[in-house]
Amino acid sequence: MADRRSRSRLRRSGHHNARAAAAQTELSVENRRKSLRSTLAKQRLAVFPDLRNGTPRLMLKRVVQNQPQVSPLAPQISSHEDTQEVHSEVPSKRVSSMGELQLPDVAPEGKSITVFHTTKKRRKLSISEFERAAERRLPQNQAPSTLDSTITARSFRMSVGSLLAPDTVEKRGLLRRPKTRKAVDLQVFEGKVEQNMLNSKGQNYLVDSQSISGIRTSILTSDAEMMMNTTELFVQPQLDEQNQNKFSALEPQQSDSKTTAQRSLISDGDQEEERLEGLVSDVRTNEGRTQRDSKSSSLHDEHVDRMTHISPETRAKQQEEKQDQSPQSNPMAQISFSEEEVAGTPEHGPSAGYSEHLEKKLAEKAELQITTAQDSRGETEMASSAAEELAEGSVGAHGSPGAEHKITNGIGAEGLDRNSHAFSSFDKRGMILLDETDEQGDELQDQAIMLDLNSSVEEPAQDEAEQPASGEASMKTPLFVRAPAKNLLLSMPHVEKVAAPRSPQQLLQPKTVPKRLGPPQRKPREPQIPGSLIKEIFRHFAKMPVTKEAFKIVEKCSERYFKQLSSDLEAYTHHAGRKTVEAADLEVLMRRQGLVTDKMPLNVLIERYLPLEYRKLLIPIAVPVSEGWRWILNLLFSVLLGSQCDTSCFSPS
Amino acid sequence: MRSTAPRSTLRKIIKKHKPQLRLAANADLLVHLNFLLFLHRLAEEARTNAFENKSKIIKPEHTISAAKVILKKSRG
Repeated sequence: MADRRSRSRLRRSGHHNARAAAAQTELSVENRRKSLRSTLAKQRLAVFPDLRNGTPRLMLKRVVQNQPQVSPLAPQISSHEDTQEVHSEVPSKRVSSMGELQLPDVAPEGKSITVFHTTKKRRKLSISEFERAAERRLPQNQAPSTLDSTITARSFRMSVGSLLAPDTVEKRGLLRRPKTRKAVDLQVFEGKVEQNMLNSKGQNYLVDSQSISGIRTSILTSDAEMMMNTTELFVQPQLDEQNQNKFSALEPQQSDSKTTAQRSLISDGDQEEERLEGLVSDVRTNEGRTQRDSKSSSLHDEHVDRMTHISPETRAKQQEEKQDQSPQSNPMAQISFSEEEVAGTPEHGPSAGYSEHLEKKLAEKAELQITTAQDSRGETEMASSAAEELAEGSVGAHGSPGAEHKITNGIGAEGLDRNSHAFSSFDKRGMILLDETDEQGDELQDQAIMLDLNSSVEEPAQDEAEQPASGEASMKTPLFVRAPAKNLLLSMPHVEKVAAPRSPQQLLQPKTVPKRLGPPQRKPREPQIPGSLIKEIFRHFAKMPVTKEAFKIVEKCSERYFKQLSSDLEAYTHHAGRKTVEAADLEVLMRRQGLVTDKMPLNVLIERYLPLEYRKLLIPIAVPVSEGWRWILNLLFSVLLGSQCDTSCFSPS
Repeated sequence: MRSTAPRSTLRKIIKKHKPQLRLAANADLLVHLNFLLFLHRLAEEARTNAFENKSKIIKPEHTISAAKVILKKSRG
């Protein structure tokens, strides 16, 4: 506004300047010299004809003229323009300014140049102009061409940058991170892990069926090691491929005898079936989760509701855990995990789920041991087949624990039973596998086959279901899982990690679960604007009585308003490439709302509605209006004269 | 009017809606100002509605119709 006023004054006074200057030059001989030097300047000076020497402008002119001449090659256009401003302001404050004009004698030296270089163009004082002027000045001292290029380049860069930045920032800000990784990565990873295993152990964990025997032996020998080493819930060897191949090889071997045996086992474990079914549903719900810890906790939460009655459920839980954890969950890893649990080492985690699993594992182990003593081979076979079936049918979680048990010498019986039960629960898929798995004769072979089958079955299951599910299915292959368990354990974490980032959103869900459990009483005290404040403000503005229901509506309204506000602010901040809401963003918002206009600047609103303390915070210097004009004038003069004066003298007293 | 604005509450509300968003030092004062102006406009509109209904009290229906208009205006 001040600019506009000064500008208009300049325009109005321009004519006066010309006339006054002409008159002066004509009249006074003394001024001839000055006029010759400063005709242009005089034209610029706003001189009232009737106040020749009294106006501050004239005084300033005299001051300037008395200054030693300065080379015109160093024009200070900015100061020149400031002088114009000052001159326009001066007439209104003649008395006060006169003294100030005379104060700094040194300063006007530079300003004299401006008098000579009175630019006839009465442009609005703008930053771009100033820049251009400054740059015009520079070429005189330096290379002129660089300025233009820099200006254009700068503007160009700004325009382009502003175009690009907001989009990208906006995109980055508004888009969510990719939720899932492609399944291909995992498969590739699995392959690589397998290779690692091969390299590390020097064992033939080959994908083709030829390596089955070797794996079987290795698995058998390393069972003990597995039990000791496996510390993670969820180290799933990448035996899917191997299992698949083996499974395909084994399928034809299955016989009917096994199915019958399995059926008998199945009938025994009705409870388990129910549990497994429940687990399956749980697993399916948990399929998305890949994090082990979260899974265990989440599983715990879910399972607590369903599987509180049976300790063997631990197996199912383990299965579920495994299912949830990663698609490539190694049955061996699971087994090892179960073994660990059985060992009674609640290392796996503080969550209750873990303890539950441990308990179940212990129970399972006990059962398995008992069963193994009774009918090792048959049961193992059954278990293996069951495990395979499980791998096929369910996400594999159910079968895998059983498979794991099998792997652990003698443990498999119960697990197999479980697996068979689990299979039965998955009738469609399980039965097919049952038939296939019946053929297995050798324990080891069966186990190995089971592992293969499980893995192979799991793989197609994986394809059908989600990847995590398939991974869990692979967990069912106890034999294969065992042998490379160690390696897998090492590699599984990678798998886990790979799987984990695939669904960060899913991970978030399990993470929140333990939070819910932690504090028993959860008091979500939502932040709310105090109703009394709203009522007071609304009543003050409405100046009419307000009913209680109407006030409730106002409250709801303000909640929605805050939601709108926060999203708007986020959009503006992102557009500006920032992460922090600044005052400028707020101003943009108010402008868009129509609260701030050219006629109503933000500061006026601030002064009107906010108390003084806040005003002082928001406006750099909030001065009482009465002092404002003097202060502004002082400021202008200080700028114009480039005074070295201590600006503290201009501070509001 | 109250002498102080609920600065911390405002920050918490915005944090609740947009946890990743941060607020500058005195930005919440401007948020409070914005809120005041919003309530001001809402009250004026509700008052107008009540006058049109020749009622001396602001009733919920006046407020609801006012809210629809003002919320739309305040969308930015």
